[in-house]
Amino acid sequence: MNLARLSVAYLKARPLNTVLNLVLLALGVGTIALLLLANHQIEERMGRDARGIDLVAGAKGSPMQLILSTVFHVDAPTGNIPLAEAKKLAQHRAVKLAIPLALGDSFRGFRIVGTTHDYVGHYAGELAAGRLWEAPMEAVLGAETARTTGLGVGGKFVGSHGFAEGGEEHGEFPYAVVGVLKPTGTVLDRLVLTNVESVWFVHIHPERHDDPGTVLAHLREDEQEITALLIQYATPIAAATLPRMINSTSALQAASPAYESARLFRMLGVGIDVLRAFALVLVAAAGLSIFIALYNAMEERRYDLAVMRMLGASRGKLMRLVLLEAVALALAGAVIGLGLGHLLTEAVGAMLAAAQQPSVTGAAWLNAELWLVALAAGVGLVAGLVPAWRAYRTDIATTLAQA
Amino acid sequence: MIAVESLRHRYGATTVLALDSWRAAAGEHCLVLGASGSGKSTLLAIVAGLLRPSEGRVEVAGEDLGRLSGPALDRFRGRHIGFVPQKLHLIANLDVEANLVLAQFMAGVAQDRARVREVLAAVGLANRLGAKPAQLSHGQAQRVAVARAVVNRPQVILADEPTSNLDDAHCAATLELLESQAAACGATLVIATHDQRTKSRFATRLELAGAPA
Repeated sequence: MNLARLSVAYLKARPLNTVLNLVLLALGVGTIALLLLANHQIEERMGRDARGIDLVAGAKGSPMQLILSTVFHVDAPTGNIPLAEAKKLAQHRAVKLAIPLALGDSFRGFRIVGTTHDYVGHYAGELAAGRLWEAPMEAVLGAETARTTGLGVGGKFVGSHGFAEGGEEHGEFPYAVVGVLKPTGTVLDRLVLTNVESVWFVHIHPERHDDPGTVLAHLREDEQEITALLIQYATPIAAATLPRMINSTSALQAASPAYESARLFRMLGVGIDVLRAFALVLVAAAGLSIFIALYNAMEERRYDLAVMRMLGASRGKLMRLVLLEAVALALAGAVIGLGLGHLLTEAVGAMLAAAQQPSVTGAAWLNAELWLVALAAGVGLVAGLVPAWRAYRTDIATTLAQA
Repeated sequence: MIAVESLRHRYGATTVLALDSWRAAAGEHCLVLGASGSGKSTLLAIVAGLLRPSEGRVEVAGEDLGRLSGPALDRFRGRHIGFVPQKLHLIANLDVEANLVLAQFMAGVAQDRARVREVLAAVGLANRLGAKPAQLSHGQAQRVAVARAVVNRPQVILADEPTSNLDDAHCAATLELLESQAAACGATLVIATHDQRTKSRFATRLELAGAPA
């Protein structure tokens, strides 16, 4: 026998109370854990996706929409821009690297992106099989795209118009898969990559047996459009001048991924704060519930405590017994809560993955979760203090003599 | 074994116990008699170190209880004194065996299950080790309380009104049990009672007259 086993015996003697307290704590801790995990992973993922992209130049419209559609690939693009203007901008001396993106089609929900090899290089993508695209209608699949669709090198597929599944299919002109990338942990994993010309070719609705090379050679200049240009500055000073230059002197719009994602998190942050506050209220309610349960239990247990004193226990030992009971309950609640939080995160992750969205996983550990355990233990300790003090103060001689 | 000098205990202005001198030798079996309110329970609580007297000196097994600090007094009580309270106060969540192990644990002595079983066998409960107190008859619960008091081989056993709710047969059996168990550990036995049936069995008696004005 020891204090821990004695505490457990008392917890088991009040199963309903114990379960109620565990559920309350686990819900609170689980919600906070879910928020921590999801928030951290999404922020990290967005950070990786946006890293090294200082500016995006695209069609005028909502800057956030531009960033969401071209950097994170989650929203519809704002429109297209003439290739000539983009080329002019790419030549600007403040621009170190400019990557064109042409969007418009998707394959089973995965976006088809017309771009250059620089795009793969930017995210440090490596080939798992095959080679990068060279000619129109050759495609390279991101790791997740390949895994989900089951396509590999040598496979063929047709794109459908728009980004949702079930759009109008460009049935006559299949892409040929020439390569598959290794996982990068970035947006690259969920894309289909090809060159810009492929996107043009599919969208001018050529005749059935047209040769891409011939058709593209006759493309009018006003048909040569891209969706956006991802830009890396040559010097830090460019941050001060280039966006203003683009916004004021061209038909283009410049948006900063860092600024727009910070703005997005500020907006989402309110919702996350509300959820977090709600979860903390749950934890506090659990603390109160543990307190009330223990306080009432002390009333029933006056005799037991007096008997333990009679048998030789010191006041301190009884105080430790009561505190241990409260803290053990709180810790058990925290551990169950963390398990629950990870399961919930995994469930949310599975839902996101099914929608071809950047996913989260419950199989990750954050050191901040240790703070949650400490928080729960603290709540248990505080909830146990007054009952422990009552145990400490029990007048044994009087209590033993009472009925 | 027990020596009491000039003992007074008061609650507020009311003196509930006044005892000028009382001694009980090692191994002696002694009755403390008196009407209810005469201070029997108070005397037992003071001798057990559960209560500090307002005045006076109490020596048990060679220790002056007044000189022991709180935790030291608790330790002393756990190791040297077996107490059978009037309401038995067994721990309802623990089975019979665990109730006795608890006595060893709380006294801070080694947890010796063989000793626990030996004592339970001696009081005739070898087959009720796993029973919860609520499943026991009153007589059985009384025997568990006696076993709990003797499991740590105390030098003094104190029993507060052990026979008050028992019929004649059980009364005799309980007294016999207390005496035999006290004899088995060579302990001094002190029984506080107002039960006339117990008087005949004990030669040594202390009559408490109740509180003097």
